Amino acid sequence: MGSVGTPIGAAAVLTALAAASLLIHHIVVRPKLAGTTRLKLLLGLAVLPFIAAVTTTASGMQRTTEREFCGSCHVMETHLTDLVDPTSLSLAARHSRNPMMGPHACYTCHADYGMLGYPMTKLKGMSHVYYYYLGGYRNWDLRRFHAEVRVAKPFPNANCKQCHSGTLSSFSNVREHLGMQEELESNRVSCASAGCHGVAHRFSKRPEEL
Amino acid sequence: MRRLLAFIARWPTERALRVACWIGLLALALMIAGVVLGTPLAVVASMSVAQGLGVLACLLFGVSIAADGAARRGGGK
Repeated sequence: MGSVGTPIGAAAVLTALAAASLLIHHIVVRPKLAGTTRLKLLLGLAVLPFIAAVTTTASGMQRTTEREFCGSCHVMETHLTDLVDPTSLSLAARHSRNPMMGPHACYTCHADYGMLGYPMTKLKGMSHVYYYYLGGYRNWDLRRFHAEVRVAKPFPNANCKQCHSGTLSSFSNVREHLGMQEELESNRVSCASAGCHGVAHRFSKRPEEL
Repeated sequence: MRRLLAFIARWPTERALRVACWIGLLALALMIAGVVLGTPLAVVASMSVAQGLGVLACLLFGVSIAADGAARRGGGK
């Protein structure tokens, strides 16, 4: 089920239905183009659809941050299954159990940080849709997907630092953090890499990557 | 200007408005589908194709109303 249960989703559907009823009335009744008809058409073709478009976009953008949305493509099923597994100890699952991330866990971790993080993440997300529907991923089985597909760019440590600021002594006093300060800041070494905090989605990696 | 007036005089207002209504209905259906289904393709279509169709329907409405207004003014003179 989509986001029709949310206030913005319900507003989108109601506005669109109101506009649709005006348009159907015009198609069926075929009234003369008097002042009232113009006003009804203005509402049905411009004002209400504009409101519907704005609310639909808001609802759609919200929907794209939900983990069920990401997991709705079959190649992401195992990622979603792992996230919601209360016994999983993977880095992703442990973070997903945090209520701050829970329902939006994929987006919270993978969205780029910064002022343009939100729109750029959405734009890049379109490439996922392209690869899935037109790039052949739709016909791949999970084994092939896990073997061949990797994250498009190294996972930026800035995304981890949205929550783990790294300013407390409990972070900076750790020997490994001290020794790799430059590599961590320049993103040459990811927090979520083998030997550090481990990869986030272990099941999707080859043994030599763990 | 003459070309524009000739174009407006030939504009099929009633039919264009009905076409605009059908296109508008299609756009609204896509928007509703995006919200109700919530699947990637439906959501993407509701935020792209649907809005393009909505703009097209709105433009058809605007041109039709303008053409009707011009025709009325022309007929009144």
